Amino acid sequence: MVNIRVARADDLQAMQACNLQNLPENYTMRYYLFYLLSCPQVSYVAEEDGKVVGYILVRMEDDVREGEEPRGHVVSISVLRSYRRLGLAKRLMVQSQEAMARVYRASCVMLHVRKSNRAALGLYRDTLKFNVHDTEKGYYADGEDAYVMRRSLRGVL
Amino acid sequence: MPPAGIPPSRALPLKESGLFKEVLHYYEDRQLKKGLKTADAILKKFPKHGETLCMKGLILTHMGRREEGLELVKQGVRFDLTSHICWHVFGLIQKGQKNYEEALKSYTQALRFDKDNMNILRDAAHLQTQLRLYDALVETRHTLLRLRPQLRQNWIALSVAYHLRGDLAESKKVLEQFENIVKNVPDYDVEMSEILLYHIRVLEELSEYTEALALLDTHAKSRMIIDRVAIMEYRARILSKLQSPEAQQAWQGLIEQNPDCYDYYKGFLSSRAIDLDAVTDDIRPGALQILQDFVQQFPRAAAPQRLALSVSTGEQFKELVEPYLRTRLQKGVPSLFTDLKALYRSPEKRDAIESVVHALLDTLAHAPDAPCPSSIDPTVYIWTLYFLAQHHSHLGRHAKALELLDTAIAHTPTLPELYMFRGRVLKRLGDPYGAARWVDQARLLDLQDRFLNARCGKYRLRAGLIDEAVEVFGLFTKKDAVSPAQDLEDMQSLLYLIEEADAQLRNGNHAMALKKYLAIQKVFDDFEDDQFDFHGYSVRKFTINIYLNLLKWEDNLRSHPAYVHAAIAASRILVKLHDDPSMASAASDSHLSGAEKKAKKKAKKAEKKVQEEAKKAPSSTNEDKGLEATAPKDEDPDGTKLLQAPEPLERAAKLLKPLQTLAKSNIEAWVAVYDVAIRRKKYLQAVQALHHAHALQADSPELHVRLVDFKRRCAPNPALRVNMFSDTIGPGSSLSEKPDESVATVVSAFLPKLLPDEMSLEAYNSQFLQKHSTRGDAVLAAAKVSQALGAPREEVEAAVFNVLNADVELDIETAVAVDAFLSEIRSPREEEFRSAAGERFALSTVFVPHAKLPELRKSALHVPNVAEEKEEVIS
Repeated sequence: MVNIRVARADDLQAMQACNLQNLPENYTMRYYLFYLLSCPQVSYVAEEDGKVVGYILVRMEDDVREGEEPRGHVVSISVLRSYRRLGLAKRLMVQSQEAMARVYRASCVMLHVRKSNRAALGLYRDTLKFNVHDTEKGYYADGEDAYVMRRSLRGVL
Repeated sequence: MPPAGIPPSRALPLKESGLFKEVLHYYEDRQLKKGLKTADAILKKFPKHGETLCMKGLILTHMGRREEGLELVKQGVRFDLTSHICWHVFGLIQKGQKNYEEALKSYTQALRFDKDNMNILRDAAHLQTQLRLYDALVETRHTLLRLRPQLRQNWIALSVAYHLRGDLAESKKVLEQFENIVKNVPDYDVEMSEILLYHIRVLEELSEYTEALALLDTHAKSRMIIDRVAIMEYRARILSKLQSPEAQQAWQGLIEQNPDCYDYYKGFLSSRAIDLDAVTDDIRPGALQILQDFVQQFPRAAAPQRLALSVSTGEQFKELVEPYLRTRLQKGVPSLFTDLKALYRSPEKRDAIESVVHALLDTLAHAPDAPCPSSIDPTVYIWTLYFLAQHHSHLGRHAKALELLDTAIAHTPTLPELYMFRGRVLKRLGDPYGAARWVDQARLLDLQDRFLNARCGKYRLRAGLIDEAVEVFGLFTKKDAVSPAQDLEDMQSLLYLIEEADAQLRNGNHAMALKKYLAIQKVFDDFEDDQFDFHGYSVRKFTINIYLNLLKWEDNLRSHPAYVHAAIAASRILVKLHDDPSMASAASDSHLSGAEKKAKKKAKKAEKKVQEEAKKAPSSTNEDKGLEATAPKDEDPDGTKLLQAPEPLERAAKLLKPLQTLAKSNIEAWVAVYDVAIRRKKYLQAVQALHHAHALQADSPELHVRLVDFKRRCAPNPALRVNMFSDTIGPGSSLSEKPDESVATVVSAFLPKLLPDEMSLEAYNSQFLQKHSTRGDAVLAAAKVSQALGAPREEVEAAVFNVLNADVELDIETAVAVDAFLSEIRSPREEEFRSAAGERFALSTVFVPHAKLPELRKSALHVPNVAEEKEEVIS
């Protein structure tokens, strides 16, 4: 049975393993630790019998100018292929968005996606209701451009 | 005249003293080149000025000239042993080298000469936390609070220090004092909110629930605690502990917030006196009713539906499981079988599921190869076949599973899951080559999917195809990395490292296997180092609850299966190396296979490329490289140096040490501990390891082998004892030198508890065999023992061939171990055994004659045309 709950420090290794199986953008443990320990309320995992089968890793953006409202940023979200069609990505996103708005009063949430990653783009746009907000040239290490996608958090609470 | 208290050797004339201040300033601003120049100007006149030497060393270290820098710092300290600057610099350098113990010593020295230096105190506190020296930490945090009581973080840091020391009452007191004096808390202060939640947690841990609840309610009302869900969670938990009737309402609120969280349902039911993990018949109807109500309330949530399946029995279960299965098969949920597998512990539920799904299949079946009639949803048909294949394979009916999968693939040749699972069934049947081929086909159906790619790489490793695995992994690793393998190691992929290490070991390449196992050890060392920055950061950010959670995780880090496996496997290689040192020298090129030589060449080439690129990089001397050493280049691409390094047993002991507290219930760990301890002549530790193993599983075959080994090495009867100092355990070793008298006392006190004193080892061995004559692993163990006791080879062979008897339980794993043993004793009957085992496990390929292996390996890479066409469709 898949269980959705807030991420803990002892989930990070399993989140890292899940990420490495699913996505080409990977991070060392230091990054996971940094994101989780800065904003421990907004990252979630989907687990089955103690195994992490999906996760959403979120940070709050810190370059928010005076007078601007806080923004959340999805660092990484993925679900193992074998756990698709359970709506896990959406459920993870919903919990995380509510937490961003509740704890940090975030007005919106952003994420980056490779221009070429059509599958992910579809997930973010159609399932998770993000819009393409901007393009960032050469965002990825290999020079590929990223779409900056955005979703308003008004009314999620 | 120098100012009072300053030793003459440290005092500088006015000009140089000004220059020294400039050096400090340049360093702080990271103007390293200028700092270096200025330091040199001082040293020209005063070459023995300790503080300047240290600062120069520190700057050089930051510039990447690490060895030179360290040398200067050491010199500087020697010239001025009472300078806090010298000791502080030395401490910084040691901290950068992750030598936390030595760093703390230097900081302690620095504090002797400047006891109220805030920077040094803070750094010392971080080191004390890293080293878990909590008494000292409390002292340091106290000093910091005394010096700066106006800083919020100093209060919280002291409270945390008490908490870590286990002194909750003091922790609480500090928080109360802090809250009494804190003023002007702005609205919506996330930090203050976290502090209050931490306070409530402390009260909860003190079991002061009423007080905790009161504090929670007060601050929830005043909105000082911001996180509404956190409030609800704390409330529900504490009310449950108080056994308050309000608890139920609190859990209900949480379920409404997140109806997919198992813990909330568990909490709700516990508030109604129902333990979800132990539902009895008299509470079953009530529990089920509650869950059914939740199903009505949250029709989209899976948790209450699934929990109802766990709780219900008999007819009711059948009624519930049918729609549960049907809706999910219609949706094509790939994880459905994994989801339900836990229910198979009940044979009744297992059979019910089987009959429901087979009944469903009957309504869907149609002539094979004919197009699906319009009345039938092809998706349901495929996923039903997929579910049943998993079901039958799980129950050991692999042929049935293959048949179902073939029907499904013929019907829908584009679904990767079918191919992946077909590969898995073949793996279970002992055909790693066929398995790799099928999983590769799955990968080719969706080349964009890294999950399929990773599976394919893993299965190739299982088939011993290491280069080919790395090649396929390389389709998703970073293009600018030295190699795919290096990228996966840098990204700390334990899954890859474990699989490659095991594959190298199976291929007989001990050097590379050891190298990869030690890479795993390194990943865990890095995880341990990673916490360091948070000893300061989390206290500044006030995210205390997650920080305490982090420390607990770190304390148990090496209980992770990847570490445990790597430590045990590496220790076995090191023990082998100790028993047969010629193994290290044999690990030269002449023993490498063609593929391995190729890999070696490749590694060398990659290495060269990196070096050339490093040369090309512009060398700005002012670039700050930090205090932490960057990863050195790989000086040992094929692992030979690791294999040849001295003291294999000491290295093994170090690897295994964490297991003695973190893997206490793992019998393999204790066996490994024994193997190392007995060779290091740590007899007491060896006996203890045997005791632990004995308590876990008295009739373990591996333990049996060690008990006999122990008695042979230590028995008071010299006729039974092998030479303690030659460390060979083979038959015919010279019999001399008794163990130490005190050791003999310990041994004679313990040994009788583990095995009878008066019986000969041969008799003891036959007794063991008789008792467990139907267990393949026991038959093998007994044969190993009689080989060690010097029985003729023919007799040992005959004994081990008994595993093939009809009444002996034999799995593929044990049969592979038997084959390895025959190969180890150079038995001429090995191929005979392989052929017999091949017949026993008819669909396996692991026992084919050695000569046929290259052909098989090739076949694992040959993907039939179907999938190749598919590939074209996709691209």
